Amino acid sequence: MPQRPELTAVGDLAFSCRSLSVEVSTKSGPKRLLAPLDFSVKKGEILSIIGTSGAGKTTLLRVLGGLVPPMPDSEVLAAGVPIQGPPDRVLMVFQDYASSLLPWRTIRKNVALGLETQYHGEELRDRVDAALDLVGLKARGDEYPWRLSGGMQQRVQIARALAMEPAVLLMDEPFGALDAITKSSLQDELLKVHEQTGATIIFITHDVEEAVYLGDRVLALGGVPGKIIEVLDVDLPRPRSQIMTKEMPEFLRLRHRAYESVVEAELRLRTDQ
Amino acid sequence: MSETMAIHLARTPAKKKRWYARWNWTGAATTLVLLILWQLCDQLGLIHFAYIPSPLQIVGGAVQLLQEGALQAAVAHTATVAVIGWAIATLIGLILGTIMGLSKTVWTWTAASVEVLRSFPSITFVPLAVLLFGFSSSMELVVVIYAAAWPVLVNTLEGVRTISPGLRDVARTFHLSVWRNIRSIVLPAAASKIIVGLRLGLNLALILALAAEVIGNPEGLGYGLTVEQQALQPARMFVYFISVGVLGIILNAILQLIVWWTLPGITALAERGRKS
Repeated sequence: MPQRPELTAVGDLAFSCRSLSVEVSTKSGPKRLLAPLDFSVKKGEILSIIGTSGAGKTTLLRVLGGLVPPMPDSEVLAAGVPIQGPPDRVLMVFQDYASSLLPWRTIRKNVALGLETQYHGEELRDRVDAALDLVGLKARGDEYPWRLSGGMQQRVQIARALAMEPAVLLMDEPFGALDAITKSSLQDELLKVHEQTGATIIFITHDVEEAVYLGDRVLALGGVPGKIIEVLDVDLPRPRSQIMTKEMPEFLRLRHRAYESVVEAELRLRTDQ
Repeated sequence: MSETMAIHLARTPAKKKRWYARWNWTGAATTLVLLILWQLCDQLGLIHFAYIPSPLQIVGGAVQLLQEGALQAAVAHTATVAVIGWAIATLIGLILGTIMGLSKTVWTWTAASVEVLRSFPSITFVPLAVLLFGFSSSMELVVVIYAAAWPVLVNTLEGVRTISPGLRDVARTFHLSVWRNIRSIVLPAAASKIIVGLRLGLNLALILALAAEVIGNPEGLGYGLTVEQQALQPARMFVYFISVGVLGIILNAILQLIVWWTLPGITALAERGRKS
């Protein structure tokens, strides 16, 4: 594991957010979804975000992905540049794979979606194959996504993002709709991909165990509007293993802490209301 | 690895049926039996109307008309006007429908006019078109375009407006340009509705071409129909009558084949929808 220096230069940050807040207008006037948040994400790290529902996890991710504008007084930088629209090489992986894959395109053509204008012919084919290879779906390329199981469809979505050689993957509960076995095998695949590509990954989940298992850090959001309850450093060795890692006392300690902060967030939510 | 197995099972491709296997042969047989019954009724004198010819008399009329070359000319005229008019209408409907579906501003400005105009049956515009363009083929074409554009426009608009927000996010996160977004996501996502519009438009194109020929333009199947009716030639009239139906069936089949050939993904998706 690379040493993490205490002071990180702006150039080493995938994201830096100062007083990031989000408001939406509703019938009963403006509603704040995220209280001012200050945090940053280092390049190449995996940041897990957990929290109660309604704490603005998805909103936060959509701000980072350039799909939702923050309040004007927020300072949100992606690789040092203020976010205006989706930043370059920052790609989102959505929870609802069925509605974000294009059902009229084969898997290969789905993966080619972002590459088609840049590459053609053999080059395009090679890149698509390489991305499919990363998720172990090369042999399935000519099928339609709806013929595959949920886990495989989510892999296609991940391959489609990886084909773009992303610097950052923003994943919104990507494994939330999958069964436990598929979920753990996809977790390990994601860690493998992370090792191979070095991409920064921000990963939303409501599964505390998953957050600790995958993350270099775990950020707990809570309350309405969402605030940062706690940021935990996860100093578990990599590569991680579903059995070994999850039996380590440090893992158990971190899981305990993470649960506590979610419970605390819940309590805070009740007192807020 | 059980997942892989399951996929193999689920993947067994549906057998591609040949066109003649898709044909409804029993249905065709029923039609044949009815035709024979019709002929028998006429010959045995069971039912007799002065102006309903027997199938054999109609065949005789068809031979006459083919020898005169009148039938070929009429079919060619009506088919050409209907198809060209429909093609122009499709272009107009697709472009306007997409723009109105994507832009809220355009939609709010035009929604009321669209609702009012499309509620008029297109046939009411035929006399007006005769006034404007005279008894001519350009009158016929204008009427066809006007009528066929509506279903294409309305269905495209509906299809584009109801695209899932998920796909909109995908287009944005992959930095698709406006044109690429329309081509790769918006139109394919709206395709099933658009195809319905295309088929309705084609039917209307044929109907309005005939109406224009009956009322105003002295050419084509519609004109042949009225001329033979006024000349009290029921056998020859029925030839035009049947030709209209056959032309409609052929045009629809061609459209379906084109969709099937050019849009494999949409077709696969539609077949999946039909199965479940």
